[in-house]
Amino acid sequence: MKKYLYDGTPEGLVSAISSILESGDDPQQVFLGVRKDTLFEEGLFLRNDSAKAEALFERLRLRAPDAVHTLWYFMMAETEDIESSLMRYVALAFEHGNQVNGYLTHPDVKAVVGTARKAGRELHRMKGLLRFEQLRDGTWLARMEPDHNVIQPLAHHFSRRLRGQEWFIYDVRRRSAAHWDGGVISFGTVEQFSRPELSEEEKVMQQMWQTFFKTIAIPERKNPRLQKSNMPAKYWTYLIEKQDGQNR
Amino acid sequence: MELQQKITILSGAARYDASCASSGCSNDTPQRGMGNTSQGGICHSWSDDGRCISLLKILLSNDCRYDCAYCVNRSSNPVQRASFTAREVVDLTMEFYRRNYIEGLFLSSAVRESPDHTMEEMVQVAEILRNEERFGGYIHLKIIPGSSSDLVRRAGLAADRISVNIELPSGESLKRLAPQKRKESILAPMKFIGSEIGTSLVERRKSRKAPRFAPAGQSTQMIIGASPETDLQILKLSQGLYSRMNLKRVYYSAFVPVNDDNRLPVLSSPPLLREHRLYQADWLLRFYGFSAEEILSDDAPNLDESFDPKTAWALRHPEFYPVEINRADYATLLRVPGIGVTSAKRIIAARRFAPITPEGMKKIGVVMKRAKYFIICSGRPFEKTGQQPARLRQTLLLGDGSELAAPRQLVLPGMG
Ligand code: SF4
Repeated sequence: MKKYLYDGTPEGLVSAISSILESGDDPQQVFLGVRKDTLFEEGLFLRNDSAKAEALFERLRLRAPDAVHTLWYFMMAETEDIESSLMRYVALAFEHGNQVNGYLTHPDVKAVVGTARKAGRELHRMKGLLRFEQLRDGTWLARMEPDHNVIQPLAHHFSRRLRGQEWFIYDVRRRSAAHWDGGVISFGTVEQFSRPELSEEEKVMQQMWQTFFKTIAIPERKNPRLQKSNMPAKYWTYLIEKQDGQNR
Repeated sequence: MELQQKITILSGAARYDASCASSGCSNDTPQRGMGNTSQGGICHSWSDDGRCISLLKILLSNDCRYDCAYCVNRSSNPVQRASFTAREVVDLTMEFYRRNYIEGLFLSSAVRESPDHTMEEMVQVAEILRNEERFGGYIHLKIIPGSSSDLVRRAGLAADRISVNIELPSGESLKRLAPQKRKESILAPMKFIGSEIGTSLVERRKSRKAPRFAPAGQSTQMIIGASPETDLQILKLSQGLYSRMNLKRVYYSAFVPVNDDNRLPVLSSPPLLREHRLYQADWLLRFYGFSAEEILSDDAPNLDESFDPKTAWALRHPEFYPVEINRADYATLLRVPGIGVTSAKRIIAARRFAPITPEGMKKIGVVMKRAKYFIICSGRPFEKTGQQPARLRQTLLLGDGSELAAPRQLVLPGMG
C-alpha cells in the first residue's frame, strides 16, 4: 500500500486528497495520514497547496454539493486517523455525485458521514446551549468549550439571530473568538482572557431565568438521568440555570 | 407582587401544558425507532424532568372565572392567583431571547374577566413584541374559546402558531366537565383559523408581501381518560382534525386528578401508557399512511397495551409479510415494525449502490430485534419468518419486555 503524508491542516488535507486523486492511484490502495516528523517515517509528503484545495472544493461543489457540506462538517471534527476514509469518500463523491451520502453501507462513507453528523449535531446543540451575558459596557459575551470546532458557523447563526447587539463568542478550549459589531463578524485568537464584570441587570435576569427553569419542571417527574442524557454535564459549566452559587 | 414570584406561580401553572414547549422538538414521542424527535427545532435547555425547554412557557394569568372540573386553576380552587401585565411578559421574552435562553414565547392564560378581555391582552403582548420590539423569534398563542374572530385574526397575524384546546374528545364530555365552554366556541375558531391559514397561503403564492397567518400552523390538545371515549373515537377525531381542519399537531395528555370531583373518574394512576400508545398511533396517521380504521375497529376499539400499534397491526396481518428489503417501496417498508421514516429513506438510498446485506441493515440504523421477524434480504430470511401469529406474539413480548417499561410522560390537564 502506498503511503502519503500531509501537514495536519484542513487545507493541507484537501490539497493532498486532490493530488492523490490526480495521481491515478487506486484510492482503495492508498493510505493518507498526518506527518509526525519522526526519523523513520515512511511515505511521500504532499505539500499544502491552497490553490489546489480551493480547486478541489470548486469541482466537488459542481459535482456533489452535499459532499462539500459533509466535508465542511467533517473538518469541524478535527479528527485524525480517518483521512484515508475521507479520500475514498471524495473519490466516491466524484463518481456518484450527491447520492454518495446515501451509500451508508460503505464503510468509508459511513465513517465520514458519521463523523460529519456528529459535528453537525454539536453545532445544532450549541445553537441552543450557548449563553450570552451582558457586560458592564453593554456588550455581550458567550463562552463555550465544544468538542468540535464550531465557532464559524455558530457565529453566522447568531449574526442573524442577535443582529442588534454587539457580542463576542469565545471558545475557551481553542482560545479562539468571534466578534460581531452589528455589521460584520471577525474571527481571531485570544492570548489572555480574563472575564469582564457583568452588568447589574444581567445578575437580575439570570435569577429570573433560574427561577423559571426551576418551576417549569414537573416536580412529580424529576428525571435527572433523562436530563443528563439530553444535556450532557460537560456543557453545564456555562449554563446559567445549572449554577447554584453566584460565582463561576 | 414581585416579578420573581409571578414567574414562579405562572410558569408553575403552565408546566402541565402538554404541547412541547418548543417550535419543533417533540418530547412526547418517546418510542424508539419511530420518527425523529428533534426535527430542526432548537432546544435551549432540559428541565429537571428531562423535557426540552425552548420557549418561555407561561400563563398571562391563572385567575380564572371558569370552573372546569379537571383544572388546578378553576375558580373554586383555593390557589394563589397572579397576573402579568403585557409589558412584563414582553420584557421577559426580550431579555431571555437576548441571552439565548429561548426560541420565543408560548403564552396561554386562564379566563379573567371575559374571553375577549383576556384574549385582547394576550394579542397585545404579541403585537408589542412584533411591532415595537421588532421581535423575530417564535410566538405561540393559545386562543381562549369564545373570543371574537377579530381577535383570533390579530393573534394569527402576530403569532407563528395559534392553538385552540379541544379539551375533551366529545361534546357531551365537554358539557359535563367544562360547562362554561361550548363545543361550538372551540370548533368555530379552529375552522376559522384553518381557513385563514389556507387563504394566507394562497395569497402569499401570489405576492410575497401578503401577510402571513400562523405560518407554523395550528395545533390542539385533549385530555385522555377523564371521559369515557374509546381510542377509536379519539383517533377518528384526530384524523378528522388533520384532514379537514388542517391541523399540524394534536396533543394528548393523560388525565391526572388534581381535584376531588364526583364528575371525574377515580384512577389509581394517570393513563400514561394509553397516552403513549395514542401518540404512536397518531404518528401512524401522520407519517406512515395508516388510517384510524386500520389501526382500530369497532370490535377492538382500544389500543393494545402490550404492543405498539404498528406491531399490533403487523400481527393481525401476517399475509403482508415478509417484506423484501431490496425491493419493497417506501410505503411498504414503513409498515415493517422497527423501520421508521429515517431508516426507510436510508434503505432506499443505500440499495441504489448495492443490495443491502444483513450487516448493512444495522449500519443503516434499523431496529433489528423487532424488524427481523418481518423481513427478508435478497430472499434470505433473518429469522424464521411466517411464524404462527400466536407464537410470534409471544416471542416479541418476551424478547422485548423493555417496551412496557418505556419512559412515559406524565402530563396534567392544560389551561385555557
Ligand atoms: S381549563 Fe382554563 S378555563 Fe377551565 S378552569 Fe382551567 S384555566 Fe380556567
